[in-house]
Amino acid sequence: MAEYFAIFKNGLWNENPIFKLIIGLCPTLAVTNTVVNGFAMGLATGFVLISSEIVISLIKKFIPNDVRIPSFILIIVTFVTFTDYFLGAFFPDIADALALFIPLIVVNCLILGRQEAFASRNSTRRAIFDAVGMTVGFTWVLVLLSAIRELFGFGTLAGIDILGAGYTDMIIMILPGGAFLTLGVLVGVLNLLDRKVGSDNG
Amino acid sequence: MAEKNNSIGRLIITLTVIGALGALFLAGVYEWTIPHILEHEARARERAIMEVLPEADYYEEVTHNDKIFYEGYDENDNFVGVAVSLRGGGYAGEIEIMIGTDPEAREIINIFILNHQETPGLGARITEEQFRENFENAPFSELEIVRRTPEEPQEIEAIAGATMSVEAVKNIVSRVGDIVSEYYGGGS
Repeated sequence: MAEYFAIFKNGLWNENPIFKLIIGLCPTLAVTNTVVNGFAMGLATGFVLISSEIVISLIKKFIPNDVRIPSFILIIVTFVTFTDYFLGAFFPDIADALALFIPLIVVNCLILGRQEAFASRNSTRRAIFDAVGMTVGFTWVLVLLSAIRELFGFGTLAGIDILGAGYTDMIIMILPGGAFLTLGVLVGVLNLLDRKVGSDNG
Repeated sequence: MAEKNNSIGRLIITLTVIGALGALFLAGVYEWTIPHILEHEARARERAIMEVLPEADYYEEVTHNDKIFYEGYDENDNFVGVAVSLRGGGYAGEIEIMIGTDPEAREIINIFILNHQETPGLGARITEEQFRENFENAPFSELEIVRRTPEEPQEIEAIAGATMSVEAVKNIVSRVGDIVSEYYGGGS
């Protein structure tokens, strides 16, 4: 059990997709201007990641090495299209807010990267723990990032007014430029924190 | 990974099988979700029509030259206005707007954004009540964007950081006068 927990924990910090591996940045930069969008994007990506890691770890023995990447993409596309229709049918508000970023999950390198690095080499059970860990790791950074951007950009958090009517919105934080600024500072701070914790322990 | 089975036939079979199973699965998903998606769209359209023709109690679909018009009537069957949905290019994609008009007064009653892909928080603010109010009682003519509180009925107040989206909405709505006047002559 400890082994599985270690795999799960990996995604939260040590190999966090966003601030350690620096992958999956396309949705990270694009949709994190409100907390609700960031959280929904994390969950949608997570669903695709978990489903495709399960399927790929199950059928890895049948996929010839030469066509493994196209095979992974086909499987990922299937789950992304499912997510797109599912959200459109049952959560139309979220589907409207995320719009074209849902189809773009296909090209999120976090998902393809985990298939290649993990699901295609490990047992299904290990793959599930990896996928869930990566999902939680991806989602918490997205939520933190969007909380910072929404707070400075709109003065709100998840739509609730925090800074009051007197606050002048910083439009830059909502625009893509704000995503780069926030992500850069955040990655810097988290890595500094990581180094400090690491040196205290060692 | 099955390293030794890399013959071309094996590659083709693998991809075909995965593709076919995926397509089969998605065909099922489509059948399952599409009624819900269409229902949401129909309900959104109905809500939009009632929103842009506030005095209407019910509406009727009328087709003139392949263009669908929604004629609104009040409880005494009096004609209260006509709504039409128009599309045009926005900043990030197509914008579709339901526009309610009063052809006799040659005025726009209200608008409602049906679909758009504008930037959340910026261009997407075209859907907000505060922006849509700009179009209430706007005349059938070219509208103007201003960067201050509007004083004339044809003036639309800009949204900071969303110039392109506002421009797009203005251009789409400005077309409605000609389209409606063609079939609903009104009092002019």
